[in-house]
Amino acid sequence: MNTKLKVSEISKIYPGCIANDKVSLEFGSGKIYALLGENGAGKSTLVKILSGVVKPDEGEVFLNDERIKLNSPLDAKKNNIGMVFQHFNLFETLSVFENLSIDSDIKDEDLRVLVNDILKKYNFKIDLDIPVLNLSAGQKQKVEIIRCLIRNPKVLIMDEPTSVLTEQETDDLFISLKQFSKDGILIIYITHKLKEVLLLCDEVAVMRKGKVVSVSNTIDEKIESLANKMVGENLNTIKKKINHFKNSEEILKISNLNFKSDDPYETNLNNLNLSLKKGECLGIAGISGNGQNELFQILSGEIITEGTSIMFRNKEIGKLNPRERREYLMAFSPEDRISQAAVPELKIYENVALNNFKSSNFFEKGLVNEKKIKEHSKKILSNFSVNTDNVELKSQFLSGGNLQKLIIGRELITSPELLVCFNPTWGLDVGAINYIHETLIQINEQGKSSILISTDNDELLKLSDRICVIYKGKLSKIMNADTVTAEKLGILMGGGSID
Amino acid sequence: MEVQLIKIEKRNDVSRSIYFLTPVLAIFLTLFGGGIIFYILGFNPIEALKFFFITPISDLYGLSELLVKATPLCLIAIGLSFCFKSNNWNIGAEGQLIFGGIVGGGVALLFYNHDGFYVLPIIILSGAIGGMLFAMIPAILKTYFNTNEILVSLMLVYVAKLLLDYLVVGPWSNPEGFNFPETRQFSESARMPILFGGLRIHAGIFITLITVFLSWLILYKTYLGFQIKVSGLSLKTAKYAGYKGKTMIIIVFMISGACAGLAGVGEITGPIGQLHRNISPDYGFTAIIVAFLGRLNPVGIIFASLIVALTYLGAETAQIFLQVPKYTGQVFQGMILFFLLGSDYLLFFKIKFLGLKKNEL
Repeated sequence: MNTKLKVSEISKIYPGCIANDKVSLEFGSGKIYALLGENGAGKSTLVKILSGVVKPDEGEVFLNDERIKLNSPLDAKKNNIGMVFQHFNLFETLSVFENLSIDSDIKDEDLRVLVNDILKKYNFKIDLDIPVLNLSAGQKQKVEIIRCLIRNPKVLIMDEPTSVLTEQETDDLFISLKQFSKDGILIIYITHKLKEVLLLCDEVAVMRKGKVVSVSNTIDEKIESLANKMVGENLNTIKKKINHFKNSEEILKISNLNFKSDDPYETNLNNLNLSLKKGECLGIAGISGNGQNELFQILSGEIITEGTSIMFRNKEIGKLNPRERREYLMAFSPEDRISQAAVPELKIYENVALNNFKSSNFFEKGLVNEKKIKEHSKKILSNFSVNTDNVELKSQFLSGGNLQKLIIGRELITSPELLVCFNPTWGLDVGAINYIHETLIQINEQGKSSILISTDNDELLKLSDRICVIYKGKLSKIMNADTVTAEKLGILMGGGSID
Repeated sequence: MEVQLIKIEKRNDVSRSIYFLTPVLAIFLTLFGGGIIFYILGFNPIEALKFFFITPISDLYGLSELLVKATPLCLIAIGLSFCFKSNNWNIGAEGQLIFGGIVGGGVALLFYNHDGFYVLPIIILSGAIGGMLFAMIPAILKTYFNTNEILVSLMLVYVAKLLLDYLVVGPWSNPEGFNFPETRQFSESARMPILFGGLRIHAGIFITLITVFLSWLILYKTYLGFQIKVSGLSLKTAKYAGYKGKTMIIIVFMISGACAGLAGVGEITGPIGQLHRNISPDYGFTAIIVAFLGRLNPVGIIFASLIVALTYLGAETAQIFLQVPKYTGQVFQGMILFFLLGSDYLLFFKIKFLGLKKNEL
């Protein structure tokens, strides 16, 4: 059985961003294809188009030279395109078999025979009659795969399948995938992990900013060459900022930070060490989901880890909550500006009151000092050029850029010694991005420090004095920004090692 | 087969005035639905509704009874609003009311032979503390053992009910009471002062009004109120702002339990005057409807408590004049909640019709 899948001139435009720009690719059975790219490169959109979740604005999909219409996930199933998503779609309290029979038209007795055949053939060891919640992440993924295999797929798409797996489970998965490929199933493997591409795949298509930038055989590629293609080679031209505080005192020191989460979708952090000097910006690069979220929350005090030492200005703050850390002049700008850093249903001045500490006098003797909060809010709106002077406006009516300015303004107007920000410019327009960048450079020039956790390499190279990369919950060596190239970052972000 | 595809979308901005008007709409829909039910039962709907909603309050005694019923409802609902506003689902106010009643009643029996101005305040205070402590059980289990407060608080209602049963049948039963399941009548100094001779309306209404005012102050003018508001809207933000989530859960449950306990002690020292098996006609549960009908807003809750109190009175009148069971009152309470939730759904979401599509399943 030979399968040929071809996408031709696929385009998908979202407001403010071109997710897929005339993407054309060809795949044939017998090979495993990698689709490689950073966050936002357009891989997910392309995959969603192939699985019928998203309709393209332009372009066509051909299966065995026949044009197919993919208007819904049902159409994809009918055309024998199977998809295993990164997040599982299983009913936790139902048994494995019940989960499989839910979306199958086969009679239960026949289905059981079929599933047992699949289990035997691929040497999967799963008890069909226990509830899914008792399975490990790797086993749950196998259930998802079996669900696809029941339908005799011609094409199997795996979306970042190893992000929740252990090393051993990853090895098992690769063995299975190679077996499927031998059995004639065309496999498209979405990832940003360079090692996996080299280990598993035969061909690799690299996407960047919605476009396919290269298609090649993996034997011709190395980690370095793929990294370059993934992040782009034009980044070296960006002018780096000058560090005025090279030999200043140390302001923050974290030693041997470990964090283990009960949630399989969270990342564990292993033995993190970092230090930060006065007036310095430390950039933390990485592809999202490698532990940035957890690291931010540990820095902000939303997660308190037992026995972790965080020294800030010679005080131990590891046990303090975010409000208490603010008293020590730390400030935080989380990634989720819409529903975490601010509450959309609250008015601007109420959102300003979220960053409250003793000297702000927003709440005197437990009572709300509305006048004080409003005055303070007006000052933020004008100092940080937020495009309104109405403090009674609900923050849901602010544009992303104005909301981010409000949040950064709220955090900075108290002159903190350290600002921790996480993807401060995602989804903003160029004007707002520049404003935020200038502000961040400015605070360093005033001798204040910052930690910038970002998935945007341009931003990191532009703003950081020192950079490190977080990969699977581990920090790379911290490097001086002037020795860092886009290539090095790319290798580290994809799990490779340098020197 | 062709099917109509529909999509449900969140509305971005809901007008504030309509938000407060939908409860009124829900009440009118309830009247309409009630009319239909009466019609099916073979009554003239207009007449029946008149018996239900107008007759009970057409004289002074009726108005006094309305306030007697609204007093505990309003008090419990205002306490619950603290919990509900901060996403803590205290469903066990009935149990907290009963436990408050038990503690207050126990103290009242203890002071059986005492006279003095201090007796009543001590009883009231101990009732509030009783309710508060009982509410802390689900709060502490939630914060330290991650249990579900809905289940725990609900199940504790039956614990309180059975405890009361045991006490009034056994150790606390009236020695001269011919084994009736009730305690002695409390002494005069342990009773809420009656406001007007011949009517049952008692001083408990002032406790309710003061609590409503204090609650408004706390919810809208204090840091605690601000923290409750933020936690209710976004727990993620509350965590980011560094609010002490656990402490806050315990505080709102304490406030809520104290209010329910006050309501319980108000009942037994007010209209009832002793402990027996049925000190509350499910005020604690009905107050949940009151809290939502009043939009968790202190002023709204005052109006809502009057309306829901009317369904209690109406049910009694209807039982006498129409010979329908008094549980009709609960049917009306259920309808109010049903229509309120229904209109809220349409208020916050819009339904889009995407046109006909061939069903290929």
